[in-house]
Amino acid sequence: MQITFWGVRGSYPVPGAATVRYGGQTSCVEVRSASGECLIVDAGTGMRALGNKLLREATAPQNHHVLLSHVHWDHIQGLPFFSPAYIAGTKISIYALLTAADELQQVIGGITRQEFFPMSLEAVPATFDFHEVAPGVGIDIGPFQVMPIALNHPFGSVGYRIDCDGSSWAYVSDTAPFDRVLHKQHFLPGPEELSEDDKTSLGDMRDALIRGLKGVDTVIYDTHFLPEEYERFPHYGHSTPDQALDVCEAAHCRRLVLYHHAPSHTDDQMDKVAADYLELGAKRGIEVLTSFEGMTLPIGPAPAEAS
Amino acid sequence: MKLRFWGVRGSFAMSGREFLRYGGNTTCVELLTDAGERLLIDLGTGATELGKTLMSREFSKGAGNLPILLSHTHLDHIQGLPFFTPFFIRGNTIRIIGANPSVGSTLEATLQNQLAPHYSPLNGLENLAAGVSIETVAAGSTFEVPGFMVTTAAVPHGSMWSTGYRITADGKTIAYLSDVEYPNIDDPLPVAVNLARDVDLLIHDAMHADEDYELRRGWGHSPARAGVVVAERAGAKKLALFHHSPDATDDMIDEVVSRTAARTAVPVFAAAEGSYVDI
Ligand SMILES: [Zn+2]
Ligand SMILES: [Zn+2]
Ligand SMILES: [Zn+2]
Repeated sequence: MQITFWGVRGSYPVPGAATVRYGGQTSCVEVRSASGECLIVDAGTGMRALGNKLLREATAPQNHHVLLSHVHWDHIQGLPFFSPAYIAGTKISIYALLTAADELQQVIGGITRQEFFPMSLEAVPATFDFHEVAPGVGIDIGPFQVMPIALNHPFGSVGYRIDCDGSSWAYVSDTAPFDRVLHKQHFLPGPEELSEDDKTSLGDMRDALIRGLKGVDTVIYDTHFLPEEYERFPHYGHSTPDQALDVCEAAHCRRLVLYHHAPSHTDDQMDKVAADYLELGAKRGIEVLTSFEGMTLPIGPAPAEAS
Repeated sequence: MKLRFWGVRGSFAMSGREFLRYGGNTTCVELLTDAGERLLIDLGTGATELGKTLMSREFSKGAGNLPILLSHTHLDHIQGLPFFTPFFIRGNTIRIIGANPSVGSTLEATLQNQLAPHYSPLNGLENLAAGVSIETVAAGSTFEVPGFMVTTAAVPHGSMWSTGYRITADGKTIAYLSDVEYPNIDDPLPVAVNLARDVDLLIHDAMHADEDYELRRGWGHSPARAGVVVAERAGAKKLALFHHSPDATDDMIDEVVSRTAARTAVPVFAAAEGSYVDI
């Protein structure tokens, strides 16, 4: 497998001189199998450039598969700008957690409701289908075995473990750690006191995550905050690199990739984060990389040329 | 009156080296009177940076007052809203002023939808700590916000309408006509020309290079030459090309400016993120 990062930023896109090296676009990762098949994880603003590349390479309309961690704007905003969607004959399958009573199609269709975007989902030439995922229930998409894992984030989100070509990686974004705050389906102006049930839920969620990540080669993890930032905003639903390292160490993962960088983090700050955590990770036996737009990582055997 | 562009890009925020000189943030414009009163137009991603700057002022103490005019609710004009820091300080008073979308639901319901629990952890406008009012204005109306006189006009924008603004302060006037496509692009509607009558600065949608327009007719945006015709007929003193295409690199925008400037006596420049300019 090979993964390519098209957007590594959290919350909102940040253009400007301070983000040219790590990139300013929001969450979107492409994975290719050795046989050249493609899976997209999250549809943030990075998806626009990915779509343009896929369209340039394609000789005929394609089927695209998109796994969504959740449907906050920074993870879906690229969908209306995914150029293959405007080619008739394209098929786009979207996989996501159903987070409320609404139908998934309404939530995704709502991104392009006419008040927000000039073309509605129904008017787009591609055909869409929607698949609900459930934590712990594996699905096969082409050569990829995908296992959704529940995460701790406002209104719910899921991580994905993806096995293919005899190797594995996981996408763990967005999530808070599993000790101070349990995210539910209401607004949190600040941390709430945890009940005994809440503490049990958090412990169970962390155990299930660590079981799910057991032995995974590479883990991409929401490390939005530096430790001092987390202390100020523990209820925002994001983690620090230290918290990610704890999880990766417990699950015996080889490599951690820092991801979902805070919009306020400049390239120079990210250089320091990258150097600091490379060293801290090495002490704990984990290779720590810091993702940037355009970064490509081989996972297990290298892929064949894209077909 | 002073003006600063915080976001000049249309449709989609563009990061990277090729977009540094004009800037990659989506639309947001700040106006300041000589006495220090402030008015914003649109809340694209450019508003996030402006919001941080405002926090060094009365907005950090919950004593800020800010009116914001919205041209319409397409995402590139509101996507900075959930990240505009003055909203998160109790005591600030922020007025969001615009027309009800000409399609779908009301202005308030549309913004509520943007912050719906699926899409945003804010779970709705009521969770913004500041006092936020959503005020709708009719097309063709004139009203006052502290320091500024504002006149509105509805202009066609694809399948919907957007609101154009004429704004006067300190004896100077600007017009904002972003996101507009006239039925005949070389014969702009009188309502737009009238809105821009004798303004000191006209900010006009210039999403497409002139030669790209034919392919994109009907998408709701103007080629660069449309603003020229409005400026000439209205007697505008200066024209700012605005709402640049996400595909337009700095070099491409330079090219559009020089070709547009060659066809008119009205001084033309491309709006760029950056410093305050005197009107
Ligand atoms: Zn996110
Ligand atoms: Zn626009
Ligand atoms: Zn628009």
